[in-house]
Amino acid sequence: VYSPFPHRGEPLTKPVELPQGTLEMLILKAVSLGPLHGYGILLRIQQISGERLEILQGSFYTAIYRLERRVWIKGEWGESENNRRARFYSLTAAGTRQLKAETAKWTDMAAVVAGILNKKADEI
Amino acid sequence: MSLLAAIRKLWHSIAPRSHSDVEEEFRSTLDAYQEDLIRQGLPEEEARRKARIDLGQPAAQNETYRDAIGLRLFDELGGDIRYGLRALRRNPGFAAVAVLSLTLGIGATTAMFSLIYAVLLHPFPYAGADRIMNPVIIDEQHPDEPSWFPLSKAQFDDLRLAAPVDSPLGFNNSHMEITGGALPEEIFGIYLTENAGTFFGVRPLLGRNIEPYDAENGGHSVVVLNYRFWQRHFGGDPHIIGQTLEINHAPYTIIGVMPRSFAFNDTTGVGDVYLPGSLMRGLFNVPYLTYIPWIKLRPHVTLAAANAALEPIVRQFARQHPERFPDHWHLALQPIIVPYQQETGRTLTLLVAGVVLLLIIGCANCSILLLARGRARQHELAIRSAIGASRWRIVRQLLVEAVVISCTGAVLGVAASYWLAKLPLLLSPDSFPAESVIRINAPILAFSVALALLCGILFGLVPALRLSRHDSASMLPGRQIGVVAAPAKHRWSVLIAAQVALTLLLVATAGTAIRSFLHLMQMPLGYDPANVMKLGIMLHTHDPGEWGRIQSREARTAYIEQIREKIASVPGVSTVAVGTDATPPYTGTESSFNIDGTRDREQPQARVMLVDQRYFAALRISVLEGRIWNTDENTRGDFIAVVNHAFATRYRSSFNTLALQLSIPGLTSKNHYQVTSAQSTAARQIIGVVGDARNDGVDRPVVPAIYVPYTAVMLPYVQFFVRTQGDPLTYLHAIRGAIASVASDQQISNGGFNGTFTLNEAIERDAQYSRQRLFSILFGVFSAMALALALVGIFSVVAYSVAQRTTEFGVRLALGAPRAHVLWVAARIALVSAAAGIVIGLAFDSFLGAVLAHWMQSAFAAGSLFAAAALLALSALLACLLPARHAIAVPPAEALRHE
Repeated sequence: VYSPFPHRGEPLTKPVELPQGTLEMLILKAVSLGPLHGYGILLRIQQISGERLEILQGSFYTAIYRLERRVWIKGEWGESENNRRARFYSLTAAGTRQLKAETAKWTDMAAVVAGILNKKADEI
Repeated sequence: MSLLAAIRKLWHSIAPRSHSDVEEEFRSTLDAYQEDLIRQGLPEEEARRKARIDLGQPAAQNETYRDAIGLRLFDELGGDIRYGLRALRRNPGFAAVAVLSLTLGIGATTAMFSLIYAVLLHPFPYAGADRIMNPVIIDEQHPDEPSWFPLSKAQFDDLRLAAPVDSPLGFNNSHMEITGGALPEEIFGIYLTENAGTFFGVRPLLGRNIEPYDAENGGHSVVVLNYRFWQRHFGGDPHIIGQTLEINHAPYTIIGVMPRSFAFNDTTGVGDVYLPGSLMRGLFNVPYLTYIPWIKLRPHVTLAAANAALEPIVRQFARQHPERFPDHWHLALQPIIVPYQQETGRTLTLLVAGVVLLLIIGCANCSILLLARGRARQHELAIRSAIGASRWRIVRQLLVEAVVISCTGAVLGVAASYWLAKLPLLLSPDSFPAESVIRINAPILAFSVALALLCGILFGLVPALRLSRHDSASMLPGRQIGVVAAPAKHRWSVLIAAQVALTLLLVATAGTAIRSFLHLMQMPLGYDPANVMKLGIMLHTHDPGEWGRIQSREARTAYIEQIREKIASVPGVSTVAVGTDATPPYTGTESSFNIDGTRDREQPQARVMLVDQRYFAALRISVLEGRIWNTDENTRGDFIAVVNHAFATRYRSSFNTLALQLSIPGLTSKNHYQVTSAQSTAARQIIGVVGDARNDGVDRPVVPAIYVPYTAVMLPYVQFFVRTQGDPLTYLHAIRGAIASVASDQQISNGGFNGTFTLNEAIERDAQYSRQRLFSILFGVFSAMALALALVGIFSVVAYSVAQRTTEFGVRLALGAPRAHVLWVAARIALVSAAAGIVIGLAFDSFLGAVLAHWMQSAFAAGSLFAAAALLALSALLACLLPARHAIAVPPAEALRHE
């Protein structure tokens, strides 16, 4: 049975643990592709990551609530794909700016770290 | 967009989402997940279960939400407060005592500080009141008796131009009559220079103040009313402005009413009405107007600089009118607050020390209770800690409870202080400036609230830290066994000892205050005030008809004698005497005199009293030597005098008193209703010496006094001293009738200065008497409060520890311990701490004795100290034994089942 939530049994693939604060960035990215409800965001992140991310339910909603509080995303009630009431989140202008800044920062940092880690002894 | 909509939008953007909103969202996620699982082939029931397991309960989601947006702390604090309140409600006795301890301490402290602020720091409503000076002449031979001096208009203008002076105010007091009504009514009027409005800077309640243009054309006939007079005479009529008030048969237009806080001038007499000073010239037909000055200095001028700058100007005045100044003098500018500071300052400072002690005792009590209660709660706290409460959480819980107590105490204390601050004024209205309005002001309120919070945190933190330190494992079984004696550490025993020591200090001070008051009450007065009443009569100086009738000295004497006889004929009246300015304990006018015409050297001073020969009998003043003048001598106004013992002792050294002759220049130059045949310097023969009757206040030594027949100088007002059988006030109606039978429109003065009252009331109105009484009552109240608090502290500690150790005592009794021993074990620690407190307190008191003796001007009586210690020891013993009794009252079997 597939579940987006961490399995208590044997994991199918080796899960990647998220560094602090990364989940919020991922949520912003997921929402930037179009309005989604909470479960939808979770599924999309799992889907994009190739189901390799372990997202704890508690921290997931905590992150959503924080982002909403900071007005980086805003939630509105609407109809879901199977005609249920659901709360859809979309990116605000501030959220767009934040995502852009975070992405740039992350790319920079990843490049620097990767650059260092990949150096071979004779290249130094 | 309307404003309302804008506000709503703003609110939506900052307000947290509602509980149901969060829950609904979570439910929709739960449903979506569950459907996913069913789609993957799980049976519905299992899908439901798995969804719940993976995601959690919707009901708990709101907590996650509030935690995420940072509201968790508030939620928990709210919970702590609710829990704390519940805990207090479960234990109302503890809560009541703890809150009451703080209420008393904070209430009394706030009240006293407010009083000090109102009385010593800011008693006057005037603008720049701290720059207003009262210039006085200090006679270098009698430096402790400063005198005011009057200025002429020209001198007043000189003063105005002096460099350090911002503006001077001149005033002049006058007794007046309201005429035009059924009966004339005596009032007290004050003429003010026309700059009064700007000088005082007090906004009138109604209308306007006296302004410079009121001086035009010899002064406008306008009048400003004092608030109390307005209330008394006009019933507080708000439409009074523009109406006419007839004073001394002349119409005056009412232009303003001053606010309640304005009561110029408390030192020389509060005016009922205020009038433009320029009017005086037309009314009194005097060559020059005289004013008593008040001076407002420019900002930032020091007192010394102002004194130095003004002294030469006043020296110049002294050269113009040498008779108004003593031989050797210097000028001193006194801030107008000085008389009150001297009289009340020390008392209030000592009272503040007293209330601060009370506050400390209250806080200590609160802390003792928290500690004692904390011990009883160890079990509960151990359980909380065992099921995962962090130390911080437990400390916070205890702290919140302490703060709840202290805040409740602060709120009640502030409420109590409103009442407590009024108490001294009710008890002793004459020792405080009439203008000081005592109210709880904002800084003091803040001070008290800060104090309460500090107490809460400080006294809550200590037990909280102590109690949270224990690990749960050692605590939980400890309760079950409960036989072992309590841990040796008793922090509260130190607190009890401190509390008892401070209480002893307060009780001993109260004892001393009460003793010195009793001493004051028992001091020989030299006269007998019981059953003597004073009635003031003002002659109708401004009624043209009456005026004509009493133009001569003889006619006045006859008129007064006629009234006196009528009063004397009232059944029950035993003696009626006449006097002017002769109401003890403050009598006479300070005047200079010469012995045997030798007027070179220094000029001696004495109190001169105008009385008739019956005065001594009416007041029961004893005759020591010689005789009193007789009726004929009195009627003629002979040149004779009687002196008091203090006079005789001071001036007898080289002469036989009865051989002395003296002259009193002041008596002859002031007034033209004097004995016509006498020359101004004529000598008076001393014919008798009488005993000393208090004439400078109840507690001050009697000063030399000269009694002169009142007929020598017929002033326009006299007082009758009526000795009756029983309470004199019951005769008032009959006496009014007797006076009316002589002259139907003769008013007996009431209110203000010449009120009708008994001589006993006159003593009670004496500032020193009233202050001493206030002092003993307040200290008595404070020490009673402190005693009650200390006893409650001891009581609750013993009660708590007995309740906790019931099992232990049961075992002891079952094993055959004597009851007395168990009682001793139960009460031991509290008793020992109380005893230590008493010993420390005694040591402290002997050390402070010297300081207190200086402040209270009375010895710190060893007797009252030991009485206080004995009282404290006895009540501490009771407070220990009453709860300890329960330790032996429980049957051992029941005690063992107690758990």
